[in-house]
Amino acid sequence: MKINCISCDKKDMDKTVIGINKKLLGENVKSFYCMECLAGYLDTTVDELLEKIEEFKEEGCALFL
Amino acid sequence: MIYADNAATSRMDNEAFEAMMPFLLEDFGNAAQSYSFSRAGKKAIKQARLTIAECIGALPEEIYFTSGGTESDNWAVKGSTLLSGELRETITSEIEHHAILNTCQTIERLGFPVIYLPVDRLGVVKPSLLRDKISSKTKLVSIMLANNEIGTVQPIQELCSIAHENGCLFHTDAVQAVGHIEIDVKKLKVDMLSASAHKFNGPKGIGFLYIKKGTNLLPYLDGGAQEFGIRAGTENIAFIVAMAVALRNNVKHINHSFIELKKLENILISELSKAKIDFIRNGSSLGLPGNINLSFRDVEGEMLLHRLDLLGICVSTGSACNSKKTQISHVIKAIGVPADYEKGTLRISLGKDNSEHDVLRIANELTRIIDSFKNTVFVDKINK
Repeated sequence: MKINCISCDKKDMDKTVIGINKKLLGENVKSFYCMECLAGYLDTTVDELLEKIEEFKEEGCALFL
Repeated sequence: MIYADNAATSRMDNEAFEAMMPFLLEDFGNAAQSYSFSRAGKKAIKQARLTIAECIGALPEEIYFTSGGTESDNWAVKGSTLLSGELRETITSEIEHHAILNTCQTIERLGFPVIYLPVDRLGVVKPSLLRDKISSKTKLVSIMLANNEIGTVQPIQELCSIAHENGCLFHTDAVQAVGHIEIDVKKLKVDMLSASAHKFNGPKGIGFLYIKKGTNLLPYLDGGAQEFGIRAGTENIAFIVAMAVALRNNVKHINHSFIELKKLENILISELSKAKIDFIRNGSSLGLPGNINLSFRDVEGEMLLHRLDLLGICVSTGSACNSKKTQISHVIKAIGVPADYEKGTLRISLGKDNSEHDVLRIANELTRIIDSFKNTVFVDKINK
């Protein structure tokens, strides 16, 4: 299933982007932001989100494997 | 940054930091040596033992330095149960820290039976329950003084009396309580008490076990003659000194800190209530000062933790992502938090550096995040 950003319509977001949406917006989220739009929505930076993703991967979170 | 996870660890006391430095750079001699260069270290350890003893109403020779709360807990449980070789039982509670629970699992594997007492909705171990379970087969009762997740303070004096009436030893894991509420081991009548310095603004990697005079324990580490011959290893003089200074300073201001932290707790709770956030407070408001454990309805605690983190606010959660599913903490399970609240558990633990501004900001950001979560049209309700 191809998933586009709910805000800017950026196409084909990958598993990592979906994962960080679920982590920060709720596990039952049905639509997703791309990294740039998610960072804007949460008033943070893409770099900060990337750091978070690395930490989740290191913790073994299945959303990012 | 707002640091509101003081139950996990606390910032080191400035005076404690200053006090330990000379023992790292100048007076670095091994306290076990007999030359005069080691004298300063030896004297410092003696003074630290005395200071710590005074802070908890003990004798200096009843204070044994360890590497922290985990070691103290391990020592108390293993050192007393394994001593005689008889397979007598241990009684503990379901909401102990894993330093106790996992140690109990180890002695169970060795054949020593363990009974885990349940707690009530506030997290209290009912003395009547201990009275029902204790028997001539029981060797040790180990109940924490205050819970690390929900702050509940246990009726230790009463529980200890029951243990003694039945000829058992009583240990309390007081890691969260020492330096935060008044503790007098002679009033509590406990036989052993564990403490960890980094929970009361001391350094990490140092703690102590109070062992009442006359209590027999197996040595925890075999080796040299340090710690009256039952806990070997070269003393970490710098950290021992810092621990004593940190504890002394916390105890000096214990009543003032208690009042201030309770005030901050009330502000936070009142702000969240005013914002009509649906939550329950776990534990008792009469518990450890600054420990606020909240469960928010139909919200994910882990999501809250990470969203607050992005805003520079450090708290912890009672539910953690365990690779595939959300794992609810054993304490939250044991006190029976309703299913639609348990996933949304957060622990905010305030310390002496927190201000009214901090709690107002935490309440404000929590309200904003929860409102946005509830109002987001593309989010379904959490499956119950």
